[in-house]
Amino acid sequence: MKIIVQIGVILGICLAGEGISLLLPIPFPGSVIAMILLFLLLLSGLLRPDHIRQKSDFLLQNMAFFFIPAGVGIIEHIETLLPVLLPLLFICLVTTILTFAASAFTAKLVIHLQEKAASTNKEVE
Amino acid sequence: MDSITSSPLFGIVLCILTFELGVWLNKKLKTPICNPLLIAIALIIAVLQIFKIPLENFMVGGDIISLFLAPATAVLALSIYSQLAVLKKHFLPVLCGCLAGSVVSILSAGGLCIAFGLDDALTAAMIPKSVTTPIAMEISKQHGGLVAVTVAAVIFTGILGAILSPLLIRIFHIDHPVAQGVGIGTSSHAVGTTKAVELGEIQGAMSGISIGVSGIITVLLSLFVPL
Repeated sequence: MKIIVQIGVILGICLAGEGISLLLPIPFPGSVIAMILLFLLLLSGLLRPDHIRQKSDFLLQNMAFFFIPAGVGIIEHIETLLPVLLPLLFICLVTTILTFAASAFTAKLVIHLQEKAASTNKEVE
Repeated sequence: MDSITSSPLFGIVLCILTFELGVWLNKKLKTPICNPLLIAIALIIAVLQIFKIPLENFMVGGDIISLFLAPATAVLALSIYSQLAVLKKHFLPVLCGCLAGSVVSILSAGGLCIAFGLDDALTAAMIPKSVTTPIAMEISKQHGGLVAVTVAAVIFTGILGAILSPLLIRIFHIDHPVAQGVGIGTSSHAVGTTKAVELGEIQGAMSGISIGVSGIITVLLSLFVPL
């Protein structure tokens, strides 16, 4: 599909996401609703990956670039941040380790349980 | 000087120049500390400070770039969709792992912020720090957090994940490639995923999927955060 149409499709879905977000009684980000909408459109086959491939690749491959201005905004908060910089860095370190351990352990446990269930099923047969 | 820097083109050109320099340095030095986003942010802050350019002038162009954040989040759907077969195959381990990781991340970040006596704006900024930047920013914004602090915490977390994950895999005896990928993607999003891709194809795919899955789970869980 033509790039301009791909841009139109993706921005249209984002706009729909913003609209739904405004209607919802709970604070749910419009961009995440747009992501779910796009996923459902792809699942249903109404939209094929090649319909939005080039524009998506452009966005996905340059993802980090779009966060630069948001990150630069940190200089506005530098006075709030400096006194609490060490605790913040410490929190980042500890939570990263805990989150890794929790998710990896749980995934490992579930895989283990599934394999066990599969082998007992075989024995029953 | 003021008239040229207040052009929207100034911010956009500055972002592209510094980011490309960051990408180049990252390729040359091959270390996760040389994160292109981190380099670009640091260089731009330095330029603004040295030449005494007001932040508002930079943001005229910066706001145009930020406009792409929503579409960039939406197209994460395509990257999940292209991994659909792998996701179906390992659906339960991925879902449970992402759920456990997201709960622990929110509780530990929130709990530690309260323990250190940080205010609500900082706590709200830190709570979504393990998920991918666009989703974390939205959660932070909706709970009254300092969005720029969230961006910095997310990047730092990603870098930590990329550096520490091989070590954590050994310490915690995570011997299954699927579990390794889920752990990396849930704890350190896309930056960590670059490391997962190096570890192996399954790790990379699982880590990539976990970014989206734990992102959505964290959005849902954060609805219950009393801030």
